[in-house]
Amino acid sequence: MLGFVIQRLLQAALVMLAMSALVFVGVYAIGNPIDVLISPDATQDIRAEAIRRLGLDLPLWQQYLAFLGRLLRGDFGTSFVFGMPVLDLILSRLPATLELALAAVLIGTLVGVPLGVYAGYRPDSPVARAIMAVSVLGFSVPTFWVGLILILTFAVNLDWLPAGDRGPTVQVLGIGWSFLTLEGLSFLLLPALNLSLFKLAMMIRLSRAGTREAMLTDTVKFARAAGLKDRTILRRHVLRLISIPIVTVFGLELGSTLAFAVVTETIFSWPGVGKLIIDSITSLDRPVMVAYLVLVAFLFVTINLVVDLSYALLDPRLRRHGAAA
Amino acid sequence: MSAPLLEVTDLRTHFLTRAGVAKAVDGVSFSLASGEILGLVGESGSGKSVTGFSLIGLVDPPGKIVGGSIRFAGRDLVGLPPEEMRALRGRRIAMVFQDPQATLNPVLTIGQQMALALQAHARVSDRAAAERAAAMLARVGIPEAATRLSNYPHEFSGGMRQRVAIAMALLNGPELIVADEPTTALDVSIQAQILAEMKALARESGTALIWISHDLATVSSLADRVLVMYAGRIVESGPVGEVLRAPRHPYTRGLLDSLPAMAEPGQRLRQIPGTAPSLLALSPGCPFAPRCPRADADCDAPPPRVEADGRLFLCHHPLEAAA
Ligand SMILES: Nc1ncnc2c1ncn2[C@@H]1O[C@H](COP(=O)(O)OP(=O)(O)OP(=O)(O)O)[C@@H](O)[C@H]1O
Ligand code: SF4
Ligand SMILES: [Mg+2]
Repeated sequence: MLGFVIQRLLQAALVMLAMSALVFVGVYAIGNPIDVLISPDATQDIRAEAIRRLGLDLPLWQQYLAFLGRLLRGDFGTSFVFGMPVLDLILSRLPATLELALAAVLIGTLVGVPLGVYAGYRPDSPVARAIMAVSVLGFSVPTFWVGLILILTFAVNLDWLPAGDRGPTVQVLGIGWSFLTLEGLSFLLLPALNLSLFKLAMMIRLSRAGTREAMLTDTVKFARAAGLKDRTILRRHVLRLISIPIVTVFGLELGSTLAFAVVTETIFSWPGVGKLIIDSITSLDRPVMVAYLVLVAFLFVTINLVVDLSYALLDPRLRRHGAAA
Repeated sequence: MSAPLLEVTDLRTHFLTRAGVAKAVDGVSFSLASGEILGLVGESGSGKSVTGFSLIGLVDPPGKIVGGSIRFAGRDLVGLPPEEMRALRGRRIAMVFQDPQATLNPVLTIGQQMALALQAHARVSDRAAAERAAAMLARVGIPEAATRLSNYPHEFSGGMRQRVAIAMALLNGPELIVADEPTTALDVSIQAQILAEMKALARESGTALIWISHDLATVSSLADRVLVMYAGRIVESGPVGEVLRAPRHPYTRGLLDSLPAMAEPGQRLRQIPGTAPSLLALSPGCPFAPRCPRADADCDAPPPRVEADGRLFLCHHPLEAAA
């Protein structure tokens, strides 16, 4: 087990290194930030000074090495636009996105899995058909449209929930969180619901398919022969049998939501990293883009690692990896 | 004589498939006394498993019991409300399946699985469940039973896994166990061990046993009585010694001749020619006729049911009774 963990950690580090290089080269090869940052009428001296200050005159590989060195020290450079350390900038926005993404994926999973399991257990019932209709909607209706409908319904017409922004936060560990107060939650609810719809659809599909398959196995038949109630069979046997794909998709969805919550963040004026990255792309704020992409890669790699390790917890047959055979 | 533990009368379990109605079990009748061991033999597809699943009310759709009765301990199980049937399963009638690899849940410890089987029928604390589970594992011959409760199925050998499944079946002290080819997937030497242990366990606990097998030899060493099944019907039944010594139905003879140890001396070992008929299109006559060496025009009519001295067979031209 320990060997397995170490091996996975090394793999993760390698992936990170490759990613950072790719991201760096990719982003630095497009556009010219000087054109964006400095007005065209600036004197040649001011331009040269800015290029030197930002290190843009060095060869690309030197820029990368310097970047990597700073990265290892946790220094992602300074934003061209905001003039503040990129790490601080991103970290000031990340908790909002983290909170939103986690809430969305959790809602999708906690609601979607039971619905999907039921739909797989009684595939021909009207309830199952209704559940599947919801999942088709979740896949096919565009996120921005649902977001607008949610705002129109719950914020404008019913006036139950705020239409946007983040509202009050509570400081824990020096970071502001919304989910700790009822009012904060009221701001979180609509954007989280909006984002969760797709995940809900996905979890329904996934657990329905898994449950249908599991219900046909001899394992379930044997449990039935032992007189277990169907509810117990679903809860104790089926849920465990389908947990691996669910955990996998949970991780993937969490990662991609963290990285790409931008549409929802924009609609709900949610001050997360999604909005930040869009702004930094339009202004070619390269340090922010690079740091963001590296962070996203880091998040994916970390989530994958956690998912991989949780496989070993969920499936005892994988646990002896690396142990004496 | 007291009423039998189990009395199956004219049981019909059909599969209503798109291609037509498959009469997997069609008019099966037999009875079983408490503590008796009954062998149920026949070729693949003859309806043995479907008979077994009918008894515990777990026929997979599109299968359905369409007729007959299953009286168990004075109650008809056909048409019993699902919740009552569930409460009966595992507690009074248990079942063991063929492949222990597939029946035990790979991601739960056997202790957890045995506890679930106990807690399905009574309030049992986890600790008490563990004690009872360990005791039962010890009884079926699993060494260091108490420490093995925290093991997962893949940590047992095939034979040990099947012992675990048998222990689970015995856990609630059922009056009847239906064992559907539980040793077929195992090595021959382990088969023999488990067979002997199963017989001893059934005898000492007074549990009646229906042992399903395609192998007459297995059944001969275990059962008191044997039912021979063909195309969804019982074509011959009787005390196992008598049936094996002097089969009356040509199909039983054919099964015997295909066994290495039981072929008539000097006769070549041979399989029954032809294949089992499609259950979708059975003629009204004897379903064995296309494969039967004794068949003639009479066999186009339904064969008579001949019953005498505890033996039964369905045949127009039965083999001679033993001299
Ligand atoms: N799910 C099903 N759908 C349709 N027909 C089925 C189904 N299950 C069983 N049958 C029918 O019932 C017949 C008997 O099947 P059964 O499993 O009882 O045979 P068996 O005697 O146990 O054979 P084996 O020795 O291979 O286990 C099959 O030939 C098939 O026609
Ligand atoms: S009824 Fe005819 S075909 Fe059927 S087993 Fe007897 S002799 Fe053979
Ligand atoms: Mg079978």
